[in-house]
Amino acid sequence: MTSMRRRKSLAISAGAAVAAVLLAACGGGATSSTGATSPTGGSTGGSTGGTTGNAVANAGVTGIANPSDHKGGTLTFASSSTPDSLDGGNEYYAWTLNFNRLYETPLLTYKSTTGGAGTQMVPGIATALGQVSPDGLTWTYHIKKGLKYEDGSAVTAGDVKYAVERTYDRGVLANGPSYFPQLLADPTYKGPYKDPNGDLTSITVPDPYTIQFHLVAPFPDFDYVVGAFGQTAPVPKAKDTGAKYELHPMSTGPYMFQSYQVNKQAVLVKNPNWTQNEDTEARQNVDKVILTLNVNADDIDNRLISGDLDVDSAGSGVQAAARAKVLGNPSLLRNSDNGFGNREWFIYLDSKVAPLTNVACRQAIEYAANKTDLQTAYGGPVAGGDIASTLLLPGMGGYSAFDLYNAKSQPTGDTTDAKKALTTCGQPNGFTTGLAYRSDRPKEVAGAQALQQALKAVGINVQLHGYPAGNYYGNFAGAPTFMHKNNIGIAFGGWAPDWPDGYGMMWALTSGNSIVPTGNANIGELNDPAVNKLFKDVANPKLTLDQRSAIYGQIDKLSMQQAVILPEVYAKVLIYRPPTLTNVYIDPAWGMYNYAVLGKSS
Amino acid sequence: MTRFLIRRIGQAILVLFAASIAVFLLFFVGPGPDQVARTFAGRLGTPQRILEIKHALHLDQPLYLQYLHWVGNLLQGNLGFDYYKGQSVNTVVGQALPATVSLVVGAAILWIAYGVFSGVVSAVRSRSLLDRGFTTAALFFYSMPTFVLGYTLIFIFAYELYRVTKFFPFSSYVPITTNPWQWFVHLILPWLTLAMVTAAAYTRLTRTSMLDVLGEDYIRTARSKGMPEQRVIRVHALRSALTPVVTLAGLDIGTALGGVIITEQVFGIPGLGWTIVQAIGQQDLPIIMGIAVLAATFVVIANVIVDILYAVLDPRVRLN
Amino acid sequence: MTVSVDPAAGHLEPEATATAPGAPIIQGRSLGQIAWRRLRRDKVAMAGGTFIAFLVVVSIIGPYFVQDPTVYHSSLIDPTFSRPIGPWGGISLAHPFGVEPITGRDMLARIVDGAPYSLLIGFLSTMLAVVIGVFFGIIAGYFGGWTDSVIARAMDVFLAFPLLVFAIALVGVIPNSAFGMSGNQLRVALLVFVIGFFAWPYMGRIIRGQVLSLREREFVDAARSIGARGPYILFRELLPNLVGPILVYATLLIPTNILFEAALDYLGVGLIPPTPSWGQMLSSAVSNGFYYIDPMFMIIPGLAIFITVMAFNLFGDGLRDAFDPRTR
Repeated sequence: MTSMRRRKSLAISAGAAVAAVLLAACGGGATSSTGATSPTGGSTGGSTGGTTGNAVANAGVTGIANPSDHKGGTLTFASSSTPDSLDGGNEYYAWTLNFNRLYETPLLTYKSTTGGAGTQMVPGIATALGQVSPDGLTWTYHIKKGLKYEDGSAVTAGDVKYAVERTYDRGVLANGPSYFPQLLADPTYKGPYKDPNGDLTSITVPDPYTIQFHLVAPFPDFDYVVGAFGQTAPVPKAKDTGAKYELHPMSTGPYMFQSYQVNKQAVLVKNPNWTQNEDTEARQNVDKVILTLNVNADDIDNRLISGDLDVDSAGSGVQAAARAKVLGNPSLLRNSDNGFGNREWFIYLDSKVAPLTNVACRQAIEYAANKTDLQTAYGGPVAGGDIASTLLLPGMGGYSAFDLYNAKSQPTGDTTDAKKALTTCGQPNGFTTGLAYRSDRPKEVAGAQALQQALKAVGINVQLHGYPAGNYYGNFAGAPTFMHKNNIGIAFGGWAPDWPDGYGMMWALTSGNSIVPTGNANIGELNDPAVNKLFKDVANPKLTLDQRSAIYGQIDKLSMQQAVILPEVYAKVLIYRPPTLTNVYIDPAWGMYNYAVLGKSS
Repeated sequence: MTRFLIRRIGQAILVLFAASIAVFLLFFVGPGPDQVARTFAGRLGTPQRILEIKHALHLDQPLYLQYLHWVGNLLQGNLGFDYYKGQSVNTVVGQALPATVSLVVGAAILWIAYGVFSGVVSAVRSRSLLDRGFTTAALFFYSMPTFVLGYTLIFIFAYELYRVTKFFPFSSYVPITTNPWQWFVHLILPWLTLAMVTAAAYTRLTRTSMLDVLGEDYIRTARSKGMPEQRVIRVHALRSALTPVVTLAGLDIGTALGGVIITEQVFGIPGLGWTIVQAIGQQDLPIIMGIAVLAATFVVIANVIVDILYAVLDPRVRLN
Repeated sequence: MTVSVDPAAGHLEPEATATAPGAPIIQGRSLGQIAWRRLRRDKVAMAGGTFIAFLVVVSIIGPYFVQDPTVYHSSLIDPTFSRPIGPWGGISLAHPFGVEPITGRDMLARIVDGAPYSLLIGFLSTMLAVVIGVFFGIIAGYFGGWTDSVIARAMDVFLAFPLLVFAIALVGVIPNSAFGMSGNQLRVALLVFVIGFFAWPYMGRIIRGQVLSLREREFVDAARSIGARGPYILFRELLPNLVGPILVYATLLIPTNILFEAALDYLGVGLIPPTPSWGQMLSSAVSNGFYYIDPMFMIIPGLAIFITVMAFNLFGDGLRDAFDPRTR
């Protein structure tokens, strides 16, 4: 009975709470304390004039919440799942890469600051950004002198080279991105475990503090390749234990491993050989960091709200139950942030599966989809995201808010234009196709049914095919032959850019060169000459950042005209932070709190 | 007795052999060698990697050789290698087993204690209010889906009461070596869930078996000789009435040790059942096969132990 | 302390005397008739039976009387929280059981449309288990010796299998169309097969035990002495005497199988959405945590399964008591 009463009171206050969240977006009196950081404009959309005294909500979106230099305490993280790995060379999840900065430092790293500047690369263990040769093929980095691992031994350029070499063995380190084998000239190198005497000749180490990467083709975003992941964090060869290295990676960050029980818990303590002077982007504010794994997601929320836990490491925001609690309670709302999650949820339309081979049939689906129902499936306007109509995320270079299929003007679906498109396609009465989704993701299960229901209204009959998330890209949606054979023209998916620019967001999704037989992310199988040419043009080392952004804008429009992707939402997260958590802000590079600078008060 | 033992163990080996063939056929032969190699390679399997795995698993050889290779490894205690995570299945199982054992042992103590107690009381005070209470409770939990019971307990004790009591965690598992008290606290709700749904069958079985025994001639004789009722029940009736209960308990514990899928899933306990469900989601064949074989082994061993116990308790069995 | 049940006073006589005043003719009644008379007086069992009958009727004609279970009512959902507007999961005159969170689909319609799936899978899988179990149980019990050993060990193999594991692994790897079927048709067939195929040894063991005691009876000897051969004795003499236990244990197997199907739904290998199966509804209530803010979302399908399973158990218990009153 008590629960019923509470629910009722929450329902009444719901409307007011949403208004408060949205209004609060433009408030925010954050002050900076930690030198390098400066509050700049937040990236939340949809805000109008501010009123009320609720301006403290979203403090971690518009600036830095609870800035403090207080030292000491224990920082507790919990995860509802397990990490892909805690070894920087074997990570691809955004949260594990973010968490990795607590104990490993790559050549470069994201600048620890709010606003757009947070997506810039700055030196990690390198002294400066990469120096590129005039032909765009050689990138040179110098390593800071005097850097030490947790055990006091020296960090050298050879360790960085070795760290990259080991990622070539996909049998041992299967999870990380594969940019190095694609960009460097040794595609056949097998890694140090299988080939102990081999050498990755496309990386050279002229002296212990210099490392050079020799590319097969110019790649202007190479700084992101070395900085956005953990693959260039140095690994001393003598300490490498292959797949088991994640049990104790040699620390170059503010904390080091004390213990790690797989699937259960990792405990980190201060690294005595780390110095703030050499690592400006991280902080050593607390004495101990504890990461507990496999905690029920609602349990995490409960503990956050009662102050027994500091951070939900996944960073994707609270669950439905806590969403109701937080939005319905002003004192909780004050400690919450509602920002963009650096991710887009969308639906692929496979241009190689009949009748979606005809662009008009794909466009019919774009028009007919009920975007509001899809948004509700992903959690609604606050916890789910803003209805999307482009591939580029708001705030990215080249982004413009065009809306080819009336996603924003007719969010519940444009059946008139959908039927017109169906006629153009030669299928005036609709057609039948399959739809793939991840059956262990409740949001996609709900989304798949919402789309099925909306398409039924224009005569398109959709059969649902649920697959396990683990091998979704490996064996099912990401395997073009599987899609063709089973006549599956629609697949649910999403994308968090490998790094926050047009290339990181769109290359894997729309470039003809990115189509692969398994693990495919270009599920729409777009192989459009115009798009492919633009991707080639953008690699020209002589272009300025603005010129490249303009090209990304064109790619976005061309891809949307081809209708191989039906955007659902620009993901937003509603994150709750306990009042004792300090130096908190949503890092635009990760779409979650920046874990490297957090601290505890009292 | 020795002959009985040898025969029983021989049969157990035969059963295990058949079970291993079934696992092999289902997961190895069923999907075909290419699919198996691809699945083993995991989500990022390159064609070259798939070829390597095909070779390592002898997938390019005749079926019986593949089987012999696999079983040969099993006999040496090697459950296989998990290419998906890059570690041996033994490691994965070694990490998961303590959680399952913790869950099963604690719950088994509860369900046997409660089941036997309620069953005996029900039989001795048949048709009393207590009897009706216990039988209704048994029927109630017997008809309840395990996960609904588990989530209901979580809702009441962990979700609603957490802010007040700060006691019951939702889920997850703390190893006993890390913190014995937290281990205990984290397992209370899972123990209750598993015990309550399992105990129902014990209440019913104990009650039936006790009623049977209480009607036997020797009990009447004991009573007519003026033996106190308490003593009749404790010394004579209970002993023989519990033989079927011991059998059921042995089998249930054996099965549960192979993984308590639903309870582990609901409470996020990373035991064997949880691990295998994860593995199925990832189509991680080596783990699925390894745990399946292990679980079958537990059941078969439990069967043998139960049969031997039975033979010790009741000599007639041996002659059959 | 008194012991109120007297098993020695066992089988049929006390019943016959009890019915004597109202029913003077006590001869020529078959075991089945006697059991039916006993069952009719067991109010609890009859309540269970009545509910089952009601459920069967609802399954057959119910779907014609409720709304379309797939229609969205987005206007009844609060978009911020994705949950029904109003208390008790949005219960109203138009939606007596409320609506589903996120979609606003009518809960009553989904419960009614889901009933046939639970019942069908429960019945069919039990049938399969009974057919296989009875066949092998009779053969093992009657022939004994070598045949018995082989069948008994085969049953051991099946019982040694971690059943749920095999079920999820199997259902998880089967493609979307196979054996000339696709979609939910294939799923139902698969669930029936998996559940039934692994449940038969339970039936087999019981039948084997029954046959072991029956084959020593006079009527079997009599049949044998007048020259009847194996198959005749097996299926004409023994089988009719097994109808009671088969009926009882089949009735008790159905609820187990319904729970099993719900568990498979919970683990994500059950029926395909938007099919409104009860297990599916429960699964979506707990999997995204909506039951915390909308408990009715779990309570309603939970009660549907619970009451159905309970009804079968009550009826099955009553049936068993009617055939064999010792266990009361």
